[in-house]
Amino acid sequence: MDNIVVIIIILAIITGAIAKVVIEKRNGNKCIGCPHGKSSDIECNCDDF
Amino acid sequence: MKIALTGNPNSGKTTLFNAITGRTERVGNWAGVTIEKKEGEVKKSISKGNASIIAVDLPGAYSMSPYTSEEHITSDFVKNENPDVIINIVDATNLSRSLFFSTQLLELGIPVVIALNKSDLNKKKETRINANVLSKRLGCPVVETVSIAGSNNGLEKLIFTVIESKGKTQQIPFEGLAINKTNRSAIEASDKKRYEFVKSIVLEIEQRKVSSNRQTKQDVVDRIVAHKWFGIPIFALVMWTVFSISQTYVGPIFANILAGWIDGLYRYVEGLLGQGVSPVIKTILLDGIIGGVGAVVGFLPLIMVLFFLLALLEDCGYMARVAVVMDRFFKRVGLSGKSIIPMVIGTGCSVPGIMATRMIKNDRQRRTTAMLTPFMPCGAKLPVIALFAGVFFNDAAWVGTTMYFLGIALIILGALIVVRISGEQNSRSFFIMELPEYKYPSIKRATIEMLSRAKAYILKASTIILLSNVVVQLMQTFNWQFQVVAEGAQNTSILASIASPFAILLMPLGFGVWQLAAAAITGFIAKENVVGTIAVVYSIKNFIDTDALALVGGGADVASAMGLTSVAALAYLVFNLFTPPCFAAIGAMNTEMENKKWLLGGISFQLGTGYVVAFIVYQVGTLLTTGVFGNGFLPGLIAVISIISYVVYLMRKGNQKSLAKKAVLEV
Repeated sequence: MDNIVVIIIILAIITGAIAKVVIEKRNGNKCIGCPHGKSSDIECNCDDF
Repeated sequence: MKIALTGNPNSGKTTLFNAITGRTERVGNWAGVTIEKKEGEVKKSISKGNASIIAVDLPGAYSMSPYTSEEHITSDFVKNENPDVIINIVDATNLSRSLFFSTQLLELGIPVVIALNKSDLNKKKETRINANVLSKRLGCPVVETVSIAGSNNGLEKLIFTVIESKGKTQQIPFEGLAINKTNRSAIEASDKKRYEFVKSIVLEIEQRKVSSNRQTKQDVVDRIVAHKWFGIPIFALVMWTVFSISQTYVGPIFANILAGWIDGLYRYVEGLLGQGVSPVIKTILLDGIIGGVGAVVGFLPLIMVLFFLLALLEDCGYMARVAVVMDRFFKRVGLSGKSIIPMVIGTGCSVPGIMATRMIKNDRQRRTTAMLTPFMPCGAKLPVIALFAGVFFNDAAWVGTTMYFLGIALIILGALIVVRISGEQNSRSFFIMELPEYKYPSIKRATIEMLSRAKAYILKASTIILLSNVVVQLMQTFNWQFQVVAEGAQNTSILASIASPFAILLMPLGFGVWQLAAAAITGFIAKENVVGTIAVVYSIKNFIDTDALALVGGGADVASAMGLTSVAALAYLVFNLFTPPCFAAIGAMNTEMENKKWLLGGISFQLGTGYVVAFIVYQVGTLLTTGVFGNGFLPGLIAVISIISYVVYLMRKGNQKSLAKKAVLEV
């Protein structure tokens, strides 16, 4: 019984971590752990000028 | 309602944007920090409950005729996206230059409100600007603002004025000549007329006590700090001081407290689990999750102090001077003058640093900068530096400082090699960066920067690092038959069997053990993993208290815990710092380089550099300390000679290509 409780806790922690990674990636964060890792959808086309 | 924030570089647009929206976008006391547009809703407390106002922070621009990629974004947005009102942030300390752009914005027919920013600096200099007359002459409202101030900053008045201005007709005080945009002399004549108009306004509204041609105290400081010879040793001294404070004196005080808490949590959970829980499950939770993540989080105070100090340096205007000092070297080796900006940003994180290379127009210079930016030690590498400096070098500040300067040296050397390999002529580039005035750094801004770094660090530790540690723990616990490996037979684990072949390759570098090879491999996911994996494979949960490490090794010598000499530890540190930083950075390189050949070349170059430098550090260091070369010298030497020979071959090939191009041009 103790083992099952601990396994559930470990799985909950892992699921939470995976979910957070997926959410951050969907929000456009290219680098989780960089405060300025998000990029906007504007892309510079340097050939324009 | 949509408002656009425009103005010259370093006029304080992003600071104003953060103040009115409550966001924490990156700001810096130098030009070129913002390279993309950013959107945010104006706080209700400032807009006084009015309908939603979306503010768009745009990169700095000197003119509506774009020259740089950032100016292009700004010019495109105000021309094509039809903002309801434009807030033109004007640097009150530099009116004549700022108003040139203002007069161009006023011609667009969109209501403009001028925010006369940095008004506090003018008061200090006893420079007076008559805002009422300025408003009449330009035909638009002018509001004095101090966007860094917490109160009486004029921001509520500014937003109120913006709301009032919506839908109003904008007067045009000066209309540019209808000219042919390809006719250079016509453009110059038109610009001259505009400057004359701006000059006439400035003469009328501005009263200066300090004349601009007098040498100020700032100029005297700049002559020393940005001096072509003194600049480098001064920068080294500054960085050494920063590392001393963060990693030797202040940082460890807080790190010890935090490590104590993590240790307490470990013991508390250990006590809760009791004897009924399987040892394997216990190990995954205690050593994999709490111990592994705790080992990385333990360095948080050191990193927070370091970023707080770097933010102070940037805010006071010093980092802009460093850019000037380094620019001279970078231009000589074929990099763009603008390359310094991605590299300074890269000290925080390589990914935004690499993304910032997109403002470099020349393909070769952009790709080279993207390839070399990861050599700057980023935030993720700091725990690795702190771990090795703490454990093997008694928290010596020279370790971190040396790694910064070794990174810069490798960038210069790398640029020289790439320019030769590419066979392109070294085109001279010009980079004009306006030096910001020195000022007392904002503690608030540095604290915000420090906290945002801390938040991101904890997020990374509790996601990527946690998941990696669990995988490493499982791979270390089981063998390929999915049986639990016996005590003392860890060499048969899945992790050991995967890492061992790599460990053989690393023997000439002084760290040919599977545990360290595994840590180096997981470091490619995120560099903090090096610390996390070492914690998991050696069952260490506290790197701050070096006594704990000594216990693991079973002896008094801390270095023996990992089976490393100090020289090998330095080589391992160098290898981890100068090989590719992480997959996220490689992804960013792929996006910015837009060329698979360059990407593969870049990754190979980084791997080769890390290997060669680590080999030199270990073998030369061992020779100097013991009188003989270290293990695996001969096979390592063959590998290093092969790498260098291949690079020389590519350089010669590039040189022939360059000569052939020259010959064609001469014909």
